Amino acid sequence: MSAIAARLRASRLLGEVDSLLRGTGVHAVGGGRVPWVRIGLVLIVTGFAYGCVMGYFAGRPRQAFYSGLKVPLLLVVSTLICLPNYFMVNTVLGLRDDFAAAFRGVLSSQGTVAVVLAALAPLTALGYVSSSFYPFATVTNGVMFALASIAGQVTLARHYRPLIAKNPKHRVCLRGWLVLYVFVAIQLAWVLRPFIGAPRMRVRFLRHDAWGNAYVHVTDAVWQVLTGQ
Amino acid sequence: MTSEPQSSFRRFARDVDQLLRGGFTQEDQLKIGKIEVPVRTLVIASLVLGALYGCAMGIYSWTMRGGEGVIQVFASSVKVPLLFLLTLLVTFPSLYVSSALARSRLLVGDSLRLLLAAVAVNLALLASFGTVTAFFTLCTDSYPFMVVLNVAFFGVAGLVGLGFLRQALTRLFGEEASAQGVLPRETEEADGIPLMVKRRVPRPVSQRVFSVWLVIYGIVGAQMGWILRPFVGAPSLPFTWFRQQRESNFFAATFEALGKLFQ
Repeated sequence: MSAIAARLRASRLLGEVDSLLRGTGVHAVGGGRVPWVRIGLVLIVTGFAYGCVMGYFAGRPRQAFYSGLKVPLLLVVSTLICLPNYFMVNTVLGLRDDFAAAFRGVLSSQGTVAVVLAALAPLTALGYVSSSFYPFATVTNGVMFALASIAGQVTLARHYRPLIAKNPKHRVCLRGWLVLYVFVAIQLAWVLRPFIGAPRMRVRFLRHDAWGNAYVHVTDAVWQVLTGQ
Repeated sequence: MTSEPQSSFRRFARDVDQLLRGGFTQEDQLKIGKIEVPVRTLVIASLVLGALYGCAMGIYSWTMRGGEGVIQVFASSVKVPLLFLLTLLVTFPSLYVSSALARSRLLVGDSLRLLLAAVAVNLALLASFGTVTAFFTLCTDSYPFMVVLNVAFFGVAGLVGLGFLRQALTRLFGEEASAQGVLPRETEEADGIPLMVKRRVPRPVSQRVFSVWLVIYGIVGAQMGWILRPFVGAPSLPFTWFRQQRESNFFAATFEALGKLFQ
């Protein structure tokens, strides 16, 4: 009985994923109630799946579990941090009546990123099996995240196309969202590292120097390269 | 017993929501030079929204100095709304006198309400950046980074407030220009076929007064921020309500912070 129930749950999840990717059913473009619970569940399950694969580089199950928690955490917390500003920009630009449709697009794009990551997980695993070189693992995951982000943009553009046709001010909101989201997500990813887990380092949920600033590190590094100090 | 405070809070929340959605700056109301939003609502909204962002700004000092820095959270939450309201207080008399001389349709009360509305919109957007500021505060030791981040958020919020004001002024003075007969015809005929013609609409003097005032408001605001500092609270300096050093100015200090960020 439990096997049947598990199979039913799996087919329901697949149905949900299919509907999200195609933009049909409750995930269709437009207003109405935002299916945030459904998108959230898809995001957590698929994000966890990719995170587990991502963190298994050095064959450490605990790191895999931590990374499984951190991938959905990264997507959800970045969205929550940027949400007040997104809501306010929509309101001030007089786009509140379309907010449900716009927010549906944002959440769907986040769900799409997680689903695509999960779909790319076998490729990441293949990369890990092929090479134990840590920088290669970093680049592989970077490519996977880039591909998933592009897929997320496809979903976001699908939801935003009718909105922009209705009122071009939606383009301002969309660009504002993307700039702020990327700015915050890069920093949050820095705080939540390690995701892959360098083999020479101990397994930890967060590094002991986690609460640093990615942008300050990057500007320091650029400055050192330029000045040779 | 509780219905009265509840209903006044609801009314306040509804008014603020309407304001942010542009409900009080609709064309039909501006045509008659009226802005039907109570000054009290605008002032309270500005104080609350400014205090929210001030809290987010002051958290940096708290994280860097521990319990000693808590006072900076309180100080910043008082100083951010004050920065905007004092800037308005300093620049409003000159605006009113100039616009009255230019025979603007807006009377003193309506001018004040319009500018307070723009300040409230500005502060609402700033407050919405609060979560991002707080997040970066928790991750950052770098004081120059926090200064540059806050200046960027103030800049973006200021631009949105400016856009709100500009839209309202265009609606208001567009009507005024039309009433003065300075708007050109939208179409003209060529070989009997009506053509759409784009022409530059001359702006009335009263609108130009507002434009000049906006520049003055920006400069005064920046300097007021310098006078009311510290907002973030440099970790190397002890807490003070106001810095004694009067030399330098906002622009020089921002460029200095940018320079330090790259060192």
